[in-house]
Amino acid sequence: MNAVAADPAPSRRVGAFVEPLLGLAVILLGWELAARVLAGTFILASPLEVARYLAQNTGLMSRALAETLGNAALGFLWGNLAAVALATVAILWPVTQRTLSGLALLVFCLPLVATGPILRVLYGPGDGPQVTLAAMAVYYTTYVPLLVGLRAAPSSWFELIRSYGRGRGSELVHVRAMAALPYLFAGLQIAAPAAFLGAMVGEFTGAERGMGVLTIRAMRALDVPATWALACTAAAVSIAAYAAIGALARALTKAPPPVILASPDTSGLRRNKPILNAFITLVLALALWWGAMAAFDLTPFFAKRPGDVLEALLLAPDAAQTRTTLLAALGETAKLVVPGYLAGLALGAGLATLLTLVPAAAAVAMPLAVSLRSVPIVTTAPLAVLLLGRGPAGTITLVAVMVFFPTFVACLHGLRQAPGQILDVLRSYAAGPVARLVHVRLPAMLPAFFAAARMGVPASVLAVTVVEWLGTGQGVGALMALSASLSDYDMLWSSIVVVALVSVLGYAGVAWVEARILSRYAAEQVAR
Amino acid sequence: MSQTRLTRRSLLAAGSAGLGALALGRPAHAQTSVAFQLSWLHSVQFAGSYIAQENGAWAERGLDVQLLQGGPNAPVEPPVISGTALMGISGVDYTAPAVNEGAPFKIIFVAMQKNPFVVASLSGAPIERPQDLVGKRIGMALANMPVLQALCTLNDVNIDEIELVPTQYTATPLLSGDVDCLLCWETDLPVAMIIQGAEPVTMLLADYGYELHSQCYIATEESIANRRDELRALLEGEIAGWTAYREDTDAAAELTVNKFPDLGLDLETQKLQAERQVPLMFSDVSDENGFGWWTEESVARNIETMKLLGFEVTPDLWDRSILEEIHGA
Repeated sequence: MNAVAADPAPSRRVGAFVEPLLGLAVILLGWELAARVLAGTFILASPLEVARYLAQNTGLMSRALAETLGNAALGFLWGNLAAVALATVAILWPVTQRTLSGLALLVFCLPLVATGPILRVLYGPGDGPQVTLAAMAVYYTTYVPLLVGLRAAPSSWFELIRSYGRGRGSELVHVRAMAALPYLFAGLQIAAPAAFLGAMVGEFTGAERGMGVLTIRAMRALDVPATWALACTAAAVSIAAYAAIGALARALTKAPPPVILASPDTSGLRRNKPILNAFITLVLALALWWGAMAAFDLTPFFAKRPGDVLEALLLAPDAAQTRTTLLAALGETAKLVVPGYLAGLALGAGLATLLTLVPAAAAVAMPLAVSLRSVPIVTTAPLAVLLLGRGPAGTITLVAVMVFFPTFVACLHGLRQAPGQILDVLRSYAAGPVARLVHVRLPAMLPAFFAAARMGVPASVLAVTVVEWLGTGQGVGALMALSASLSDYDMLWSSIVVVALVSVLGYAGVAWVEARILSRYAAEQVAR
Repeated sequence: MSQTRLTRRSLLAAGSAGLGALALGRPAHAQTSVAFQLSWLHSVQFAGSYIAQENGAWAERGLDVQLLQGGPNAPVEPPVISGTALMGISGVDYTAPAVNEGAPFKIIFVAMQKNPFVVASLSGAPIERPQDLVGKRIGMALANMPVLQALCTLNDVNIDEIELVPTQYTATPLLSGDVDCLLCWETDLPVAMIIQGAEPVTMLLADYGYELHSQCYIATEESIANRRDELRALLEGEIAGWTAYREDTDAAAELTVNKFPDLGLDLETQKLQAERQVPLMFSDVSDENGFGWWTEESVARNIETMKLLGFEVTPDLWDRSILEEIHGA
């Protein structure tokens, strides 16, 4: 798997075909067994039932797939273009970076339950909300690794550019863009299932057709084979996109990763002004919020302004009650999202590390990991809650799955960024795989791991609110759905603001830890 | 009544044709486009509207109606208040809170006279009266707690003696034996259970004092004042469509399935649902006064039920004036 791995024996070519097939066989077998155990409970359809459903409803399914896939692809394109544009601006004008990242994060943290109906009113009938939600589901997960990648170049290369008297533009084209490619592809791979999920959720806002629409119908009608056929089709498409992007990445990024030497720079931490940056971001966000509502002339009945939320939370006579309700719901949600998030991170990093030590395990682990994440959470959430119960286990598991996959992919890419020369040095001293892992690969993985850990914060919030909304009917996700159905838009917007702020704070907390660790292990990421 | 409208419109059409509509290459009688926001995904639940659309009941009244599908993340109130839709389908229990929040809505038509909430159980251990709920496990969305509370208050049942199991909106927990009954709608989960081969028994909450108009058509006060003709034509088309629906529910189900081939609708399910919603939509009141009608007494009982649910409602939430013009009261 590694660029410097020097043992591509002829048998590997056979293995390339056998391993994925073996993995698939193991998954199918486990699935069939599980379906037999759960027969008659209306939870899980067996692979055979799914195949039969697909054979009988090929036309229906392919029309729905074409619709959703088209919207997901458009959203994928727009979202990733936006990510590249944002990252380019942030690198060319580093002053803007903190504010840009903050705003991008805030928008990414807006809960789907709330953004869906507003987009529908803005766009009217059509594909607008589906494409927009797909784009919003991906831009951030591409932006973050891309920013990491754009900085993952040795300072000597920048010095070379500067010695020719060239500026930031040339740096970007000749050094940063090349260094960022592997990170960009990692982001795109994570984006593929996310775009599909975004398009499906977009269809919940009243779309005429598509796989999300079929999912709602199938779940209501107890049509278990249809539900799983939808989940499998969505997963298959996401896996195909994941594999295709991976193949493209391998074809385009042949150069081995460079040695990046940067001196630990703890002074860099003090140079940033976190409070000032946060303040600027907040003011800009409020201005954008207010400006957007005024520009689109949205009625204050459902499109609340910053002042309305302030009043609902602090000034109104029932403000205390609003706060109590909201905090109680948040507390319920926190009990689920924190363990799920930590478990997902640990599993992702752990499995990626394990695969480096025991590459053979990849045959089963990789397809399983990809398919777990590719099954859209909107189809699995209600079923998983039925299967694992309404207690914390079901929700925590789903949150962990959502965090696990991006972490796993990012860490795998990170581990591959270990410079060959340094690995060679260790090898020449007969250092074993564990020593190489600890001294070279793990430090090389850290920037990617922390980028994933940061992205995992909004991803886990998205997961938990979707599960609560469609599955358990508890916590802040359910509170938002209920508020929307009862036209309690003050409560809905207060929830949006609080959820977004909590997500941003969580993100900032991870970034704080990251800055302290990376200033020792990957100083180029911290230096400005 | 509609005779005078037609005459007036044909006059207008003749006039505008003379003024150069031909030069624009448009038909002499231009259609007004309006949108009607449905409350859920397309299904036979709205089949009367599909019939109105297919039979030209709206076209002959000068309307080009776009039926907007709903969904789990598509509340009805925002498109109606922002003017995307002229009219929307709501319920008293959703419209009243919206009005309390400042939305200028009026209920102008009641398509479902009887509230569709039921307690569904299986024929082996049926729940036929509210008193049967005592000691049983009921599966329901926590959001529907006030509904159960209202039913208990109306029938002197102590809600503490019922075991509440929070479930999603699906029949699975009942079929797997995790609960003894479900709080759901007459027209969806019981139908799904029958299609899956189970034998559900349903107890209609409306038969035990829980009176709330469902599938109410709402419009803003501004539309009622300024776009009255369009609303009236919209409702006239609805009445024509639902009258045809009642005559042949199987045909309505077939039309629905054929009209939306991309939704994966099952014909048998749709036929059964179409049949089951007839007694909820038509009553002696609607037979006597015309479809969509309601009485002052039922408004008073709705207000009582809403009070049990914790909402203060006044009779001016309902506006029967357009319906009175149509049915000539």
